Amino acid sequence: MNEEMSTIKDMPTNDMFTSGHGACAGCGMAIAVKNIMRILGENTTVYVPASCLIVISAMYPTSNFRTPYLYTAFENTGAVISGMKAAQRRRGISSTVVGLAGDGGTFDIGLQALSGAAERNEDVLYVCLDNEGYMNTGIQRSGATPFGAWTTTSPVGKVVAGKREFKKDLMAIVAAHDPVYAASLSIAHFNDFVKKVEKAKNKKGFRFLHVMTPCVPGWRSDTSMTVEISRLAVETGMWTLYELEDGEARTTYRPRTMLPVTDYLKLQGRFRHMGNDDIAKLQEWLCRKWYLHYGSEVEQPVCAVFEKPRPMRQSEEDHLHFV
Amino acid sequence: MFEVRFHGRGGQGAVMAAQTLAEAAVIEGYHAHAFPFFGAERRGAPVMAFARIDDKKISIKSQVYEPDLLIVLDESLLDIEPVARGMKKDGKAVINTRKLPMELDLGIEVDCATVNATSIALEFLKAPIVNTAILGAVAKATGIVSMDSMNKAIRNRFGEKFGEAAANANIGAAAAAYEQTVIGRCKGKRPLKAKREWLPDWDQLPMGTALSEGSIDAVMVGPGGARQNLTGTWRVQTPRYDKEKCVRCLRCWFSCPEGCIKRDEDDHVHWDLNYCKGCGICAQVCPVKAIDMIKGGQK
Repeated sequence: MNEEMSTIKDMPTNDMFTSGHGACAGCGMAIAVKNIMRILGENTTVYVPASCLIVISAMYPTSNFRTPYLYTAFENTGAVISGMKAAQRRRGISSTVVGLAGDGGTFDIGLQALSGAAERNEDVLYVCLDNEGYMNTGIQRSGATPFGAWTTTSPVGKVVAGKREFKKDLMAIVAAHDPVYAASLSIAHFNDFVKKVEKAKNKKGFRFLHVMTPCVPGWRSDTSMTVEISRLAVETGMWTLYELEDGEARTTYRPRTMLPVTDYLKLQGRFRHMGNDDIAKLQEWLCRKWYLHYGSEVEQPVCAVFEKPRPMRQSEEDHLHFV
Repeated sequence: MFEVRFHGRGGQGAVMAAQTLAEAAVIEGYHAHAFPFFGAERRGAPVMAFARIDDKKISIKSQVYEPDLLIVLDESLLDIEPVARGMKKDGKAVINTRKLPMELDLGIEVDCATVNATSIALEFLKAPIVNTAILGAVAKATGIVSMDSMNKAIRNRFGEKFGEAAANANIGAAAAAYEQTVIGRCKGKRPLKAKREWLPDWDQLPMGTALSEGSIDAVMVGPGGARQNLTGTWRVQTPRYDKEKCVRCLRCWFSCPEGCIKRDEDDHVHWDLNYCKGCGICAQVCPVKAIDMIKGGQK
């Protein structure tokens, strides 16, 4: 297709990620991967590290990807896709090399390889499918798990209920490498999703996409609510949609009003235990994040917790400049 | 040795059921062990779990291939898997179904107990987790463990993990199932054929184990080969599409995790129900409610 895709209707109908995979019913990651593969098209080489995706889609001797496909170990997505691209360059093959890693393989275990590939500005596309935990191995906490969430390694007890730390800002780390293109995606913002993947496909150099992919068993949510949860994440500020092109950040969608975070939490069993103190703490963190992302364009006040707008610290303003 | 094989779906608690049965046997003074089939099982996918009970130490560690007791937690599995494969002729089966034993066709004529564990679980636990209800039926059908030991085991397992109230609810479910279980004999007309698999020896593997698209012994291999897995058997609810209402926004087509919604030339859609897992996302994202989910996995 010569014209750039910008809406759902422009997407090709042939699936490069076929039906018949073993994902749970209502899997957010399957939605993301299927559509990314539709947009990237036939001329793509896929790498997947240890994750749910490998288990659901590539049990030897079959795979769901109708493209060349490789996997090795957990921690080296950045390194392997760099090597695959180098080999293709040497052999005169031109294709989009994409690494589809989970949040564990990106936030925690694969961070150094990601950083290396980004720093060398390898001509690859790195996609982080963020389901906020190690869901494949049975729901353990990762650097991407949000504050308060239950996992098997951040259990709910009498003293401590759920994870005590806030989610790592991975995009800021990637942004610090000054990549050619980086964007955060949501499966509930369809046209935005298509535009960003298309943009990432057509650029040369290191490109990074960060997709939120709700996990039905890990988030203790209903199978039919996967897309709705993604939408509410954006509306409450738990997820922000922006892109970073040649060092400049641009918000691609800003919710009109900030919904209270409880709208997002109540659909998920992993937050069911949260008390008012914890919710207030999370809401406060969200408000700060909201100002950070939308600060310059927003009419005050947006946040229910802050009665008057809080003056921003110098360090946050510096941060804003970049993200 | 008394060998037990559980067939269920991911999320129904087959593994917990196997462990609880083993624990009840230990309380009775037997040796026992229990373990799941270790595979890539996801929620809704057919799964297996195993248990062994003996009055001396058990040294065998393999899966159970010739069960004395077969426990099926989801009736729909009978149609998609040869669940009774390898069953002993004097074995027993316990099935979660609305039907009576004589209405069932297991593929082997054996003593069979049936119970509607799903409705019991919904009544007592408010969720279709049928494992404890089925254990009540097991106690009645086999007598290998008494209901007292079963209750103790349930209290140990579930009380520790989920609290006292959950333990009582589960014991209630088991007791109700014990009362409602019907014992009879099932039919054996269905052929028990194993699924074909490609299991090469090391010298038959291609170089580097990389496979190109193709088939070996009529089994698809290589890129795209996984589409031979018809995941539509996981479905417990089915989408119904009202073409008149459809505004052709294609949101459902984008949001279907399975890719089983197919886009027509004119941007209407149709479903390939061979793959639909019945998650209900399409009905949820539809802006004009042109899709509803109806109960049952019918075509």
